[in-house]
Amino acid sequence: MQRHTWILLIVLALISVMVALNLGRYAISIPEACGIVLDSCGIKGILPPPTERSAIVFWNVRIPRIIMAFAVGCGISIAGVVFQAIFRNPLASPDILGVSAGCAFGAALSIVFFNGIAMAGIQGSAFFFGILAVSLTYLLGSRSWDKSTAVLVISGIVVSALFQAGLSILQYISDPYDQLAKIMFWTMGSFQVSTWEKVQITLPIIIIGSIILGVFGWRLNIMTQDEKDILSLGIDLKRWRMLYLGVGTLIVAAAVSTVGDIRWVGLIMPHIARFIVGTEHKKLVPAAGLLGGSFLLFMDTFARTATTAEIPISIITSIFGAPFLAYLVLKRVGGASKVDH
Amino acid sequence: MTIEITNLTAGYGKEPVLKNINIRIDQGKICALLGHNGSGKTTLINCLNALIKPSRGRVTVMGKDISRLDRVHIARLISVVPQSSYSVFNFPVLDMILMGSASRLKAWASPGRKEKQKAYRVMEEVGISGLATARYNELSGGQQQLVLLARALFQDTPLMLLDEPNSHLDFCNQHRIMQLMSEMVKIRGITAIITLHDPNLALYYCDQIIMLKEGEVVDQGLTEQIMNENNLRRALGENISIDSTMVGLPVVVPRNLCDCFDEHLLKKEAARNAM
Repeated sequence: MQRHTWILLIVLALISVMVALNLGRYAISIPEACGIVLDSCGIKGILPPPTERSAIVFWNVRIPRIIMAFAVGCGISIAGVVFQAIFRNPLASPDILGVSAGCAFGAALSIVFFNGIAMAGIQGSAFFFGILAVSLTYLLGSRSWDKSTAVLVISGIVVSALFQAGLSILQYISDPYDQLAKIMFWTMGSFQVSTWEKVQITLPIIIIGSIILGVFGWRLNIMTQDEKDILSLGIDLKRWRMLYLGVGTLIVAAAVSTVGDIRWVGLIMPHIARFIVGTEHKKLVPAAGLLGGSFLLFMDTFARTATTAEIPISIITSIFGAPFLAYLVLKRVGGASKVDH
Repeated sequence: MTIEITNLTAGYGKEPVLKNINIRIDQGKICALLGHNGSGKTTLINCLNALIKPSRGRVTVMGKDISRLDRVHIARLISVVPQSSYSVFNFPVLDMILMGSASRLKAWASPGRKEKQKAYRVMEEVGISGLATARYNELSGGQQQLVLLARALFQDTPLMLLDEPNSHLDFCNQHRIMQLMSEMVKIRGITAIITLHDPNLALYYCDQIIMLKEGEVVDQGLTEQIMNENNLRRALGENISIDSTMVGLPVVVPRNLCDCFDEHLLKKEAARNAM
């Protein structure tokens, strides 16, 4: 892959950050943003001093939201690459093992039964049930004599269906004027809830997980092969599958438990990244991360600026994501990719 | 290097596929596993590669008990060429071949310049250097098989297992793969075990033959000693003959084809006499 492709991906990420900074109910121009940063570092006099209001909006509202949107997009896209490789299925998405359904159930449970609970409580419950759902999927899959990924997928469908049913029951019994709206808003996802406190909890999991998946990225090439071939090439299939899926699940659970369900990003970003940098996973993992982060940041900026009321993020990602995937399928460009050695 | 299989009983369910077999394969030889469908050839290959745990007996390669080794160490000893392999993601040929370096690399490492140079050398040996950037899924069956062969050679192991590598190939490609294998065995001094359906390929290219029937060894030894009608009929069925071509090359053919050929020759002879 040419160096300029990486430069373009980094420039795209920077543009997404600048656009996100600049747009919104309280617009902050780039010179103003630079002024705020310099002022915070104690460097004064180079740029006009920022107003107190713009500094508060910049540090307490815009920056945590930008970091959260970019990190979640990055993490979910990387997890998407990993899940598509492990399940040898280009249509696999990070919630294939039931993590999203588990998180949604956990969040709804805390909203219904612990009314008035702090956001951190909802996040903790969502995270716990997300991990519990995936653990149940593993447990169910490991009871079968067939150790292939197909059994894991079926187990994931079963566990997802059970948690979805649980979520429906919770929605049915919830207070329609308060709790139901909260559940609906949570399940459709939003970055409105981004705070420094949440960034501090979520960001380390996404960063460390993404680094681990990036470092062990090359072996994902082999994980896409037939199971017998993987073993013959010297890969301990069980151990490596556990590592990739475990880390991928942690990233997705951390992201979804914080900002709600984010649809399509984990499915389409790996395809676009594959089209740009090729099928080699050592390059694919960081490229998908940069693209996913930029995409979700653009989508979040659109979600909060398109109308006076904020649109849930999953609606926006579905509107933009689904037609794009259809385009890729019709043009058959998803499987093709660049070659460079 | 010697491969020894001792009192091996293995299978997939309660009923064993391989029943108490004993095999010895010498170093630097190309050895064919012959037998009809369901005779246990692929099961034997899977046992050799430790993909199946035998219920009894043991497999040793270079004196090492395969069941006691982890996947990395097995992959340093044994490489496998499967019947065919479909890649979900359409990797370039070079990337497919580089996968063969996994057992040599640290868990976090990826192939560097040295590995890539080595991969190019192997591609040259196999005659596919022009395909380095081609997409694996867009190649013909024969070319894909050569890529899998190159990947196994790139893995650089003393033992290669080839599980019916010719099953999807045309006549010319079948011979091309076998010629390549017999050259590689000579050049590299490696041992190759290859499951075949065509006894002629075993006859022409293999030094040693093991004939299997219903999970038991019918006979094993050097090709010239083993390839006789009696053994072939015991392993492959009654309807087998060994004939000779016009240039004296022996060929294994179904007996009714021999009869047809004889009939044809008699008719030709009669027509010549009538003239």
